[in-house]
Amino acid sequence: MTDRKLLEIRNLNVEYRTDDEIVYAVNSLDLSLNSGESLGLVGETGAGKSTTALSILQLVADPPGKTTSGEILFEGEDLLKAKKDFLRHIRGNKISMIFQDPMTSLNPVYSVGDQIAEVIYLHEKCSKSEAQQKAAEMLETVGIPKERYDEYPHQFSGGMKQRVVIAMSIACSPQLILADEPTTALDVTIQAQVLELMNDLKVKFNTSLLLITHDLGVVAQVCDRVAIMYAGEIVEIGTVEEVFENPKHPYTVGLFRSIPQLDEKVDRLKPIKGQMPDPTNLPSGCKFHPRCPHAIEACTKIQPAMTNVKGTHIVKCFIHEGKFESTELMEEVK
Amino acid sequence: MVDNILEVRNLKKHFKSKNGTLHAVDDVSFSIKRGQTLGLVGESGCGKSTIGRLILGLHQATSGEILFNGQDICKMNKAQIHNLRKELQIIFQDPFASLNPRMTIGEIIGEPLLIYKKVKRRAELDSEVRRLMDVVGLSKRFINSYPHELDGGRRQRVGIARALSLNPQFIVCDEPVSSLDVSIQAQVLNLLKDLQAEYGLTYLFITHDLSVVKYFSDKIAVMYLGQLVEGAESDELFKKTIHPYTQALLSAIPVPNIHQKMKRVKLIGEITSPINPEPGCRFAKRCLYAQEKCVGQDLELKDFGNSHFCSCTRADELLNVTL
Repeated sequence: MTDRKLLEIRNLNVEYRTDDEIVYAVNSLDLSLNSGESLGLVGETGAGKSTTALSILQLVADPPGKTTSGEILFEGEDLLKAKKDFLRHIRGNKISMIFQDPMTSLNPVYSVGDQIAEVIYLHEKCSKSEAQQKAAEMLETVGIPKERYDEYPHQFSGGMKQRVVIAMSIACSPQLILADEPTTALDVTIQAQVLELMNDLKVKFNTSLLLITHDLGVVAQVCDRVAIMYAGEIVEIGTVEEVFENPKHPYTVGLFRSIPQLDEKVDRLKPIKGQMPDPTNLPSGCKFHPRCPHAIEACTKIQPAMTNVKGTHIVKCFIHEGKFESTELMEEVK
Repeated sequence: MVDNILEVRNLKKHFKSKNGTLHAVDDVSFSIKRGQTLGLVGESGCGKSTIGRLILGLHQATSGEILFNGQDICKMNKAQIHNLRKELQIIFQDPFASLNPRMTIGEIIGEPLLIYKKVKRRAELDSEVRRLMDVVGLSKRFINSYPHELDGGRRQRVGIARALSLNPQFIVCDEPVSSLDVSIQAQVLNLLKDLQAEYGLTYLFITHDLSVVKYFSDKIAVMYLGQLVEGAESDELFKKTIHPYTQALLSAIPVPNIHQKMKRVKLIGEITSPINPEPGCRFAKRCLYAQEKCVGQDLELKDFGNSHFCSCTRADELLNVTL
């Protein structure tokens, strides 16, 4: 793993504007990804995870979506300022995307093989038959016999369809794969197969992966680093060891407590109280303060800064900024 | 047998499809004690939801018995089933599809009360609806809201309030938390647990999420392609997993612990078709331990002590291997 930044997002702001309100989907987000690294982006519905991924490829529908400020540097090139032709060259070639729902992300009237061949034909200088041959190889890579090249999506099961989508995304050996909840629609045993496949491919092609999920278990199995998102912001980021062993942000702590554990018997879960904030009307100060058990007055007014706690572990919370002493939380977090 | 609120015996449900007969539920038997929770686990298409619907009389069983308080639901006529719904309710998976978008929250929760003429005056209905909203933790300001104004967690609470409105003894929970976010999921699970303690409810908890089911259930039954393959007390099942399918299912769960990497029991291929299945173990084609004796004749659940049942033909050998 080199230290060269493959992707760097700086101060990204994305909003969706409708006639009577503005949804603040992503708010001053900073994120970077090295080559060959896999980063898990975790958060609940509406946290802005998918919008972040879509904005990297400039796929946020405009209108209503609007990137109001920020930079997305891919190999030093700002994608937000890039021309349409350049983006076309990047999409599916250098950066590809795996969508959540394999049932709707394949075209029902083309055979699966031809759908994969299309990507190769468009991006690589080759003949159609060469593209088809390579597409057949890609099918084999993801564990589908190439005899099924001419079959249509409806003849495949959910797990197989997701493999086809994965084959399509790796067909041009991209540097970065954005996977938006790639296994959420699948059964656990099939999910395990797909995760294993993605792990193998990551090692084989040294691809970087941005894995969007709400499942902390999936992150633990696949990722090197993890970023926790809440209301359009990253509240905690670090290596999986740092975050899983020593979660610092009260939201992260709450997330871990909400999951029933397999290895210990608890009588009651300790969920985070309240609901996700309304993205059209976000709370002032720290966005988590209305649900936070440790909120103090300052939290309602001032935005905490990203503070480095240890190593690469960064948290956005006053408690870890050292400005306030909350011994109670410190004990709880331990 | 008084304490078994529900007893299912040799239940079968076959659907006719153009390619043959689809065996959605094939010879399933289990029972649930009053005040307990049975978790029914399996992958999509294994027939778990069909069982839930059969119990409510929403499907007509092909054969078998479903005894609820000693009475066979399969033999009931429409009027009897209508009466039975006062005791037997369901919480559906999708809180977005199971609420009528043209009714207010108050109307949705109050509808069962009107249908069963449980209230006489409007004021009485109103106060009962408010009480139910209070029980499930819904703020009363939503009484005149429509479902689209609520988020998933609150909608599921509406579904729970509606199921509770007739004060039932038994609730079928069909994946009640799978469409919710983790932090909201935990809130709803806690609510269901509190309600069970308060009203002495019995649950059939249908889910594909094993960590949820372990947290929630007293007993767990694992289904594969329409048949039960293993059943035991919740702790027992996780401690002493016998059936290769259950082992594979357990090992496939991604654990949120970085030191515990998946040691996956590999499965060959994917779930096979439940249309015209051949006799014998339906899991055999994907099983690592399959032998000739696994196919050819239908299997029965055998008792392994501690009311632990398993249908695997090689269970005895496997037990010795895994222990």
